[in-house]
Amino acid sequence: MDNEIILSARRVCKAFGPTRALVDVDVEVRKGEIRGLIGENGSGKSTFSSIVAGALGMDSGELFLRGEKYTPKSMVDAQNHGVAMIVQEAATLPGLDVASNIFTGRLEQFTKAGFLNWKEIYAKADRILADIGAPEIKGRMNIEQLNFEDRKIVEIARAMVNNPDLLIVDETTTALATKGRTLIYRLIEKMHEENKAVLFISHDLEELMEVCNTITVLRDGVIIDTLDKSNMSVDLMRSLMIGRELEGDYYRSDWNGRMTDDVLLEAKRITLRPYFKNINITLHRGEILGLGGLSNCGMHEIGRVIFGIEKTLTGEVVLHKDGRDVRIDNTVTAVNNGMAYVSKDRDKESIILNSTIRSNIVSPALKILSRTIGFISPAWEKQFSDRQIKAMSIKCRNGKQMVKELSGGNKQKVVFAKWLGTDSDVLVLDCPTRGIDVGVKADMYRLINELKHQGKGIIMISEELMELMGMSDRMMIFKDGKLAKEFDRSPDLTEQDIIEYII
Amino acid sequence: MSTVSKNSAENLEIQARLDRKAARKNVFDMVIPYVGLIFCLVFFSIVTNGLFLSSKNLMNMIEQCFTLVIIAVGASFVYAQGNMDFSIGSACGVAQMVGGLLLLKLNFPIYIVIPVMILVPVASCLLVSLISAVFHVPVFIGSMCIRSLLAGLLTIGVAKAELIIPISDYPVLSNDAVKIITLIAVIGIGMYFFHFHRVGKWAKLIGGNQVTAAQAGVRVKNQIFLAYAILGACVGITAVFTMFRTGTVSAQSGSGIEFSMMLAIVLGGFPMSGGEKSRMVSAIVGAVTVTMLTNGLALWGIDPNIIGGIKGVIFVVIIALTYDRSAGKLVS
Repeated sequence: MDNEIILSARRVCKAFGPTRALVDVDVEVRKGEIRGLIGENGSGKSTFSSIVAGALGMDSGELFLRGEKYTPKSMVDAQNHGVAMIVQEAATLPGLDVASNIFTGRLEQFTKAGFLNWKEIYAKADRILADIGAPEIKGRMNIEQLNFEDRKIVEIARAMVNNPDLLIVDETTTALATKGRTLIYRLIEKMHEENKAVLFISHDLEELMEVCNTITVLRDGVIIDTLDKSNMSVDLMRSLMIGRELEGDYYRSDWNGRMTDDVLLEAKRITLRPYFKNINITLHRGEILGLGGLSNCGMHEIGRVIFGIEKTLTGEVVLHKDGRDVRIDNTVTAVNNGMAYVSKDRDKESIILNSTIRSNIVSPALKILSRTIGFISPAWEKQFSDRQIKAMSIKCRNGKQMVKELSGGNKQKVVFAKWLGTDSDVLVLDCPTRGIDVGVKADMYRLINELKHQGKGIIMISEELMELMGMSDRMMIFKDGKLAKEFDRSPDLTEQDIIEYII
Repeated sequence: MSTVSKNSAENLEIQARLDRKAARKNVFDMVIPYVGLIFCLVFFSIVTNGLFLSSKNLMNMIEQCFTLVIIAVGASFVYAQGNMDFSIGSACGVAQMVGGLLLLKLNFPIYIVIPVMILVPVASCLLVSLISAVFHVPVFIGSMCIRSLLAGLLTIGVAKAELIIPISDYPVLSNDAVKIITLIAVIGIGMYFFHFHRVGKWAKLIGGNQVTAAQAGVRVKNQIFLAYAILGACVGITAVFTMFRTGTVSAQSGSGIEFSMMLAIVLGGFPMSGGEKSRMVSAIVGAVTVTMLTNGLALWGIDPNIIGGIKGVIFVVIIALTYDRSAGKLVS
C-alpha cells in the first residue's frame, strides 16, 4: 500500500462562542485509506469534516492536502481542490432540475457564447449518475419528482462531479435505505481501489467496522485514539467515545413482557388520510408498546393522532384518567390530562432552540407552577428546572444556557426533562433515540424502563428494530397504514421474523 | 499517539478567554439601548443649548412618552410572539374619532364614551390577528390592509370638519396625577403579566417556536388573540388621553405611532422575532428614546418631514447592525 499522505491536519482549533468544538486536532489520512470518524454528538466530528470540506473556517491550525498548504474558501473551492462532502441533511435545491443540482455553483463552465449549453449539462449529469450506479435518475428530472433517497443520490453525484481525491461522507447512510447504502459502499470501495481516501462518519459502529480500515475517536473536541483493523471492536469504540465502560445491559435485561390489565389509553378505529385507516390501539399501565415498520408505514402519524396533533377522521382516542374518560382531540387536552409527546423532529417541534434550558423545561408546566392570581415565581421555575437538569444529568453550564448550544443527546434530555417534570402518565415517544449517541441512548433506555416500572404507559415508535425488540413489552408492526402483525416480548424473536412483516 | 488534554493550563486559559468574550457580548447587548438613550439626552441638550432639558420641554416629553410607553407595554406581548401590528396608529385615530362623534354628535355620557374608545382598537387589533389566523395572511400584510381601512374611515369621519373636543368639561382626563397613576398602573400590570404570569411566558414560547408551544399544551391561537387584545386596549387608553390633551380629532390623529413603535422595539433591543429574550423594559426604554429623538430633532429645528426620514435611516441602520440573521425571518 502506498503510504503517501493525502490530508494532514495540524493543531486545528475551532470554537463556537464559548464552546470549544475542536482542540488541537491532528489527523493524517493516507491514500487508499477509509478513515472512520466517531464520537458522540458534539464531539466535533462534523465540525472537523466541515472544515476540511470548506463549509467552515478554523480558528487556528493548518491543513495540508497532498503536502501543500490547503485553505478552502468554500465548498466549491474545496471541490476544485479534490475534496467533496456528502452531508446528513437534505441539501438539494427545490424547484430545480437534477442537473442544476449536481452542478450547483459550477454551471458557468458550460457556457457557450454567453448561453448555457443545456444539452451538454444534461449529458454530463446523466453520465455521472450512471457512473455512480444510478442510471435511472436523469439530469432532466425535476428534483421534486424524486423521493428523499434519490435526492440523496443526486447529492452524491454532486460530490463526485470532480472525481475527488478525498470524499467525506457525513452520517449520510443513516438516512438511507438499502439502495442508497449499497451505492455509497460501492463508491467507497471504488475510491479505495483507485487509491483515493474517504472520511466516513457514522453512528452505526457495526457499519464503521465493516467499511473502514482505520477509525479515529473524538470526544469533546479532542482526539482520543485511532484504531486500525486489528484492534477495532464495538465495545472498545463505545467506551472510548463516552469515556467510561457501559454498565449493565444496553436495553432491558428482563424478558418479562408483563403489564397490568389497567387500560390507560385506547385508540378506537382511528383514521388519518392518507396514512392509515381504522387502527385500534390499547395501552396499559406499565407497558412499553412498540410501534414499528418502515418510515412511511403510518406509525409516526398514529403517534401524532394519539397526542391530538392531528384529528382522526373516524373513531376516537380516549384516555382513562382517574375513572373518567377523556377524549383526546387536541394537544391542550392531552397535556392537561398528563400526556407527553416527543417528536421525531426534535429541533423543529420538541424544543425551542433559541431559548434557555430552563424555559424549555418549564414550558409544559407553567399552569402547574401558577399560584394565586396566576403568579409564577422565577425562583420556583429555577428550582423546578434545576431538579430536572440534575435528574437527567444534562451536561450544561446552568439552566440559563441556550438549548441550541447543546449537543443532540443533551437536547433530547431537555425534551425528556420537560415531560418528566409534569409527571405525565402516557408518553408517546416518536424515535426517542434518533441521532443520539450510545452513551445517552443507554441513559434513555434505562429511563424508559424506569418509567415503565413507575406504572406509566409508553408508546415507543421507532424505525430501529433492535431497539423495539429490546425495549417493548408488545410490538405492533405496521405496513402501508395497516397492522401487519403483533408480537409479544420474547428472547426468541429475531429481526428476520419481524422484517418479513415490514416489507 | 499523544492525547491532548483539555485541562492543560494553556487550554484552560483559552476556555476562560472565550467565556469572558461571551459574557462581554451579553453585557454589551444589555447596555447598548441605555447608552442610546443617554446619548440622545446629552446630544439634544447640547445642540439645543439646554432647551431640551427645560421644564416646559420635559413636561412636553412626558406627555409624549405617555402615549408611546403605554403602547409599548401592550406591544411587548405581540412582538414577543414574533408578530407585529402596523395598524395601531390609525386605530388610535379612529378610536378618537368614534369618541369625538359619540360625545359631540350623539351626546353620550363620558362613562360610555371611554370604554367604547378603548374597545375600538381592541376590535381592530383582533381583526388583524383574525385575518392572519384564519386566512393565513402574513400579519404584516393583514395589518397594512386594516391600516388603510381605518385611515379611510378616519378621513371620512372628519371630512366635514375637525372635531373640537370641549376639554375643559373633563378636567380629570387632562390631570397630570391621573396620567401618572394610569402610566404606573399600566406598566405595573403589564410587567406582572409579561414576566410573572403564564400569559407573558406563553407569548415568549410562541415567539420561540409555535409548534413546540402547541405541543406543550398552549392554545396558540387564543394566546395570539389575547396579545392583540392587550395591545388594542393599550392603544385605546392612549386614544382617550390623547384626545383630551390635544382637544381635536383630525385626519392626522394617531398617525405615525406604528412606525415609532417599531423603531422603539428596535432601539430598545427588543428582538424583532420575539421569543425568550423579549423584555418589556426594552420596549419601554425604546419608547422613551424614540420620544426624545422626535422631540429633540423638532426642537433642534429640523423640518418634521425630514425627521421621519431620519427615523427611517436610524431604523434601517440599527436593524442591519443588530439583527441576528441566523435566527430566521425578521417578520413572520
